[in-house]
Amino acid sequence: METKKKVNLSEITLYLGVIVIFLAITVACKVVGKDFFTLSNIFNIIAQASITSIIAIGASLVILTGGIELSVGSVVGFAGILGGILIKNGIPVAAACAAILLSGIVFGAFNGILVSYGKVPAFITTLGTMQIARGMALLINAGQPVSGFPQGLSMIMGTRVFGKIPISVFYVAIFYLVVIFMMSYTKFGRHVYSLGGNVNAARLSGVRVKRVEMMVYILCGAFAAIAGIMLLSRLTYADPNAGNGYEMNAIAATVIGGISLSGGRGRIGNSLVGAIILSTLTCGLQIMNVATYYQTIITGLVIIAAVFADKRKERRAE
Amino acid sequence: MSENILEMKDIDKTFFGVHVLDKAQLEVRLGEVHVLLGENGAGKSTLIKILSGAYSREAGQIILEGRELPQLSPKEALEEGISVIYQEFNLVPYMPIYENIFLGKEYGRTILDKKKTIDQARKYMERIGLNEDPKTLVSDLSVAKKQLVEIAKAISNSVKVLVLDEPTASITDTETKMLFEIIRELKEQGIGIIYISHRMSELFEIGDRCTVMRDGKYVGTVQLSETDEDKLTRMMVGKEVCFKKEENKVIDMSEEVLKVEGLCYKELLKDISFNLHKGEILGFAGLVGAGRSEMAKCVIGEYRKDKGKITYKDRELSSSLHKNIEAGIVYLSEDRKDEGLVLIHTVAENIALPNLKKLSSPFLSRKKMAQKAKQYIEELHIKTHSHLSEAKDLSGGNQQKLVIAKWIFSEADIYIFDEPTRGIDVGARDEIYNLMYDLLEKGASIIMISSDLCEIMKMCDRVAVMKDGEIKAILENNEDLTQERILKYALSGGEQYGN
Repeated sequence: METKKKVNLSEITLYLGVIVIFLAITVACKVVGKDFFTLSNIFNIIAQASITSIIAIGASLVILTGGIELSVGSVVGFAGILGGILIKNGIPVAAACAAILLSGIVFGAFNGILVSYGKVPAFITTLGTMQIARGMALLINAGQPVSGFPQGLSMIMGTRVFGKIPISVFYVAIFYLVVIFMMSYTKFGRHVYSLGGNVNAARLSGVRVKRVEMMVYILCGAFAAIAGIMLLSRLTYADPNAGNGYEMNAIAATVIGGISLSGGRGRIGNSLVGAIILSTLTCGLQIMNVATYYQTIITGLVIIAAVFADKRKERRAE
Repeated sequence: MSENILEMKDIDKTFFGVHVLDKAQLEVRLGEVHVLLGENGAGKSTLIKILSGAYSREAGQIILEGRELPQLSPKEALEEGISVIYQEFNLVPYMPIYENIFLGKEYGRTILDKKKTIDQARKYMERIGLNEDPKTLVSDLSVAKKQLVEIAKAISNSVKVLVLDEPTASITDTETKMLFEIIRELKEQGIGIIYISHRMSELFEIGDRCTVMRDGKYVGTVQLSETDEDKLTRMMVGKEVCFKKEENKVIDMSEEVLKVEGLCYKELLKDISFNLHKGEILGFAGLVGAGRSEMAKCVIGEYRKDKGKITYKDRELSSSLHKNIEAGIVYLSEDRKDEGLVLIHTVAENIALPNLKKLSSPFLSRKKMAQKAKQYIEELHIKTHSHLSEAKDLSGGNQQKLVIAKWIFSEADIYIFDEPTRGIDVGARDEIYNLMYDLLEKGASIIMISSDLCEIMKMCDRVAVMKDGEIKAILENNEDLTQERILKYALSGGEQYGN
């Protein structure tokens, strides 16, 4: 009795959503006399989406285990200022990037150990780390931004492949392909799903739940650090306040992509679509000169709406 | 002849097609302590939940003081004077006693009349001899005193029928004596008391009459002064014919695969020792709360044992759960939904979860995963739309088969089944028993925790009977083994109570 893979209605809605939003914004821009569908706008969307979507990989992993991660925005900020100082002091760009990555892993491990072994709720742990990382970002350069970097740094994001395509597209593609593969075809990936699905059943099936949980937070920290490198390279300017609110963008991208906030269910690939939807909206609103404050409001509403819909679905299933 | 304060007649209730109450009845007289007795799953709790309004009844009458009650909500039942005190108290720990007593019926409109509330609370507390400051936080009280707060709360609701569910399960002997004093006093005041307990010694001390239930049916009501433990046990067990055990051909009593010595865990397990032979099914009988599941969880390493040595094939077993599972000792929980399956994942994913290593080389083969899932669906006759259906859409029996499939695939060595057929219909039960025999044929050994005495007698080579965290006896399954004998150890550890 073979049944075809179920056609997932919410996934179709998601993909249609991208197109609808794109068209809606194009039309809206036309109405106010602006041109949305230009190359520079598209590149802008991609650049913005690439950073959000990379952070969203980590956020999605954590959310799949049933946790939540609020410190990634601050880790992006810390990563940027740390890299800025190192590079300014003559450390080679590659070595600085390695140090940034390490700092993300340390923050992730800190969260992970507290959540898995310390049993501190993820919300509280990462809320605390959010403050700690932001405080440290402000502290290490007395709240001052750093700028004036060598050419090498801006190459990380500034390179165009085949003359036109921003290189960040390739970063996103590679990371997503690797993680999507990992989630479906490795033990670790399946364990992440089982953890969010039913942690007791997972443990009694021999899954080392604490280790898996810790690894997920470490990966999340690492992806935040990578996003920090990308942001630094794109702006060629390190601001200790950078990355503010990025955690919410990442969570929004994840829930728009359909990953259940109760964990165990959803596809990481769709978080990329979620990130594209978000940045299309953001850029569109910017072009139409709508104040950026609206975007923050929209992000908040989107998260609540997504969770509301998810809970309703659960209740109906019962 | 004293009058009935409460009558429950011909109460029916089904859960998912299983008839859990079938013309159940109960009569409580004014000012009597009426014991409700029956094995696990006999339907006592369901009957009480129907009385308290927590469940709705499908048929039958509830008559309180000669007046038939309609279907009530829990709040309405409380207002009618029906109070149930469960083992898990319904108290707010960080609130003082007086607020707990008057929760939901506080004095004062918007602003609380604190003084009046405290005075009234003190009145009720005095009536049952609870000598505490009403302003004491409930969290600071002992279990016995929390229980008294519950009773005070019940009296404040002008209780007519008070149900006590295993009230002495977690209090000391002295506290039990005090509780009995209070119960006798409440009796004097004309309150009808329904008392649920398995402790034979207590029943004969405090109870006036006893109603026995079995398989959701009413068996009979007896005067406790005119009966004894043996008679009650016989009523509980009934004349149900159990299939005799088939001869176990694969058992090898000379080869010991698991040896447990002096296992202790918190207050729940006291000096547990037993061994398991190759090809054997060792049963664990006992009442709920006797510590059987805790024993299993300590053995596999889900709980950290305080003391004791567990030897598996001549090597001491680690206390690490995942290592033990890798070594081949697995636990199939009684709670399939919460501890057995990832309900929101597919049948195939559930079967694969403990066996990912076998399905990967080095990466997980989705094809192999589907293939294996289909193989087990067919072999175990798991009724499912496809291997891509979610586990939550399967029936109880098929979910249990799915759990078994997971572990057959893992080729474990020792299987610990916890209530393997609870909530499963008769047909599927036999299939599960056959799967267990197949496991023995393949060289595995089984520990089976079960509250179904027939199942124990049908399947097990030996039976360990537990009571209050201790193994009271390990019995051979021969002609001498009867349900009464097992139950006697489970209820009173082998001692005799009554006349």
